[in-house]
Amino acid sequence: MSPVIGQRLPRHDAVLQVTGRSLYGEDIKMPGMLYCKVRRAGIPHARLIEVDTSAAEAIPGVMGVVTAKDVPFNAFGFTHLDQPVMAQDKIRYEGDAIAGVAATSLEVADQAAKAIKIKYEELPAVFDPLEAMKPDAPKVHKDNIPTHFTVVHGDIEKGFAEADKIIEERYTTQFVEHVHIEPHAQLAYYDPTGRLTVWTTVQRPFLVASDLGKVLKMPLSKIRVLTPCIGGGFGGKNEMTTEAIVALLSMKTGRPVKLVFTREEEFTATTVRHPYVMFYKTGVKMDGTITAREVKIISDAGAYVSWGESTLTKALVHAAGPYRIPNVRIEAYLVYTNNNIGGAMRGFGVPQAGYAYECHTDSVARAIGMDPMEFRMKNCVVSGDTLPTGQTLQNATLDEILKKLSSMSGWKVAGGDGR
Amino acid sequence: MTEASTHHIRFTLNGSEVSADVKANDTLLNVLREQLGYTGTKRGCETGECGACTVLVDGKAVNACLILAPKVDGRAIQTIEGLAKGAELHPLQKAFIEEGALQCGFCGPGMLMSAKALLDEIPNPTEDQVRRGISGNICRCTGYAKIVKAIMKASRQMARVGGEGA
Ligand code: FES
Ligand code: FES
Repeated sequence: MSPVIGQRLPRHDAVLQVTGRSLYGEDIKMPGMLYCKVRRAGIPHARLIEVDTSAAEAIPGVMGVVTAKDVPFNAFGFTHLDQPVMAQDKIRYEGDAIAGVAATSLEVADQAAKAIKIKYEELPAVFDPLEAMKPDAPKVHKDNIPTHFTVVHGDIEKGFAEADKIIEERYTTQFVEHVHIEPHAQLAYYDPTGRLTVWTTVQRPFLVASDLGKVLKMPLSKIRVLTPCIGGGFGGKNEMTTEAIVALLSMKTGRPVKLVFTREEEFTATTVRHPYVMFYKTGVKMDGTITAREVKIISDAGAYVSWGESTLTKALVHAAGPYRIPNVRIEAYLVYTNNNIGGAMRGFGVPQAGYAYECHTDSVARAIGMDPMEFRMKNCVVSGDTLPTGQTLQNATLDEILKKLSSMSGWKVAGGDGR
Repeated sequence: MTEASTHHIRFTLNGSEVSADVKANDTLLNVLREQLGYTGTKRGCETGECGACTVLVDGKAVNACLILAPKVDGRAIQTIEGLAKGAELHPLQKAFIEEGALQCGFCGPGMLMSAKALLDEIPNPTEDQVRRGISGNICRCTGYAKIVKAIMKASRQMARVGGEGA
């Protein structure tokens, strides 16, 4: 018997967890630490005219305030440099950071953040990605479609011409907030030797370090990003959020500065799972042969791309489903809106597509009066098949899995169709 | 902003006498975490939704984020830091480890304190009673099956050793 495989082993930090000694983001403190609050936009779309911090700075206990003017290079993003550390000339969603305050207590920081005056001219906002694709829609950025992909395989027209039936459907999925029980927490200290240390609740410390280097124009050799125990992430702690604001405040005040998000900020100013609108059209013969599939996916990026392009490519690769289809066309669009930023979340774009193509597979089977399990067994990919993206499969075992699932679940005994 | 009045309070914390000067609007959670350095009790929402801040006040499970510190004057508080007897883990802690009932662990302190309050009141709960006992605690990672299993296991073990370790 293996000492590891198949054995139930306790977590290496299990005793620390059950005794309350694991250190999470908010548990980390430093002497002389200041408390930070971020002023958020609170409106979805506007031209930012002026940020007046004088009233906030006059409050006793306020040690420093920063705005976009203090950011050396005010843009970051994994694939697109479209997100500012703090809004510069435009507000693109309610959670946009406008300013950061460091004060001797959380109460004072909160009071000061509220005392900041924002002068803006409200712009019409767009919350529906289909609306945002129209030429006369309000422009969130210069172009509301930052990314568009197409996959073409075979001859889609010919495929539909060969079909006995064509089934068309539309599927939509919703926003999902990760709701990790631990909120984001960050502590930055710019020490007298000019080195920056940031403790932050992220799943990607090295990405945050490199983003900090870019926006602060600092060499990576001067930046240390440390992650404490993370109280749940699920993709919601996958990118830089306000670490640069906290770092700038530490540089300005010479003191360690700490920020913990409120639960409200978790919902209004952090990433969510992208809502998708998915159009599926499938041609099928009465014997169950699929002749063609056309898919169009529209992903609501929210205000910035963040992980939008990366998640969309994953969805795109999976969109046709694990079925043998000779003629396929898939189009995928990422669309800016004034909604929350879409980010990474468990499955990274695939669950949205999977929900649509599997529901659609049931509809197609029923349209020709075929049992959905039998229909899947007939069409599922096997080793040697080539996917629409050109990948030839090796060691595909879906057919065996379906057979096993069918017998384990008593599919036939229950009369099939799973309803 | 009007300054809140200050109160001098004394209470027992995991069996030891402590005192603190607190503002009228300070929560027990803030006093534990920020003033007394007991960071084992977690803050997840500050609105009584998640249960991560659960502690025992006179043996009853409460959300430390919802109880004002002046209210605990003269009372007995138990937190996760006091659940083990020195190096000897409480049967609940052992069962949570054995059953793999925690992933990120952030809900753990609150979950364990709710479970302790339950077993102190009902030593041999049904599964239904266990589920009700932790209904104020949210876990986003593990799911509840393993947590429920761990609590049931601890209750059986405690019954075997005659309620010892409570
Ligand atoms: S922090 Fe008290 S219930 Fe969530
Ligand atoms: S283990 Fe992460 S919330 Fe329960």
